[in-house]
Amino acid sequence: MDFLANLAIPAVILFIVLSAYLKGVPVFDTFIEGAKEGAKTAFEILPVMVGILAAVSMLNASGLFDVLTSLIKGPLALIGIPAEIIPILLIRPFSGSASLGLFTEQIKLYGADSYLGRTLSTIISSSETVLYTLAVYFGGTPVKDTRHAVAAALISSYAGMLTAIYICRIL
Amino acid sequence: MLNFLWVIMIFAAVAAGLLMGRVKEISDALLASCGNAVNLSITMLGSMCLWSGLMRVAEKAGLVDGLARLLKGVFRFLFQGIPKGHPANGAIAMSLSADLLGLGNAATPLGIMAMKELSHVNGDAPRASNAMVMFAVVNAACIQLIPATVLIIRQQAGSSNPTSIMPAVWIASAVSLVSGIVAAKLMEKRRERL
Repeated sequence: MDFLANLAIPAVILFIVLSAYLKGVPVFDTFIEGAKEGAKTAFEILPVMVGILAAVSMLNASGLFDVLTSLIKGPLALIGIPAEIIPILLIRPFSGSASLGLFTEQIKLYGADSYLGRTLSTIISSSETVLYTLAVYFGGTPVKDTRHAVAAALISSYAGMLTAIYICRIL
Repeated sequence: MLNFLWVIMIFAAVAAGLLMGRVKEISDALLASCGNAVNLSITMLGSMCLWSGLMRVAEKAGLVDGLARLLKGVFRFLFQGIPKGHPANGAIAMSLSADLLGLGNAATPLGIMAMKELSHVNGDAPRASNAMVMFAVVNAACIQLIPATVLIIRQQAGSSNPTSIMPAVWIASAVSLVSGIVAAKLMEKRRERL
């Protein structure tokens, strides 16, 4: 499976370039033309990244997540959510690197094949850094009003994470 | 919404930092984050160039249109109001395919480009269209068949069976995707009536 996973990207690239060449497309010139536009978009997104990462890093350093965890531990235990899972539930929508770091630490602590280890793995695999994704995706456009995007994406994210917590009890 | 969230995040961080006596940590992290953002952007600059270029090649070869035709049914339901034959169709198809295949590095640049095309359809207005919101939500739901990074971390953490989580991942992802689509659909109707 490792081999197949590694093969995916080179195979896709070869397929695209080869079929274009066989159809008479000037492949390299066309590639450069598209790549220039990509470079422009990436620069437009840089300021968005600085803004989001700055706010997220402040949140991570402030210790707010520790305070919140101890506050909501009791109520969440009533609906079957273990206290050990709470930090990842709070951090996941905000910061990809922080949640991946926390996950790597926790899985060693609790054991990869324990209930907690499997639940944490499932949560990380089935959810995305919602806030960052939205900011970056809208960052390349002139959109100021994202309407219900944040709300719907957060609902989707937490529905997935809660499912992970319950499904790992059975599977 | 991002305006509001940004203020809340910064306010909460400073307030919590004062209470917990972690003001120095906050200002250190803030400075470091600017460098991190630039590093991330430079990494992304490379993959944006690569995948935008390949995307253009695939377009010229007619591959993108083929993919878009294959996914036509999904499109008509999820992303309404995109004219037939508009480049947005192809861009969305490429980005969602990259997501499914787990080509993480390709999915983000392709997604950003698809969002740009959707914005053109929307007349580059400052207010997001229903299709743009739906596309953002579907992407944030993270449809991924093989979570490669997590499997590697599990293996390193000494799991005897790293892939045992796969069925759970698929179920949780499906629930996340469906509830995101339903939530977005419900909210777009309510907003339109107002």
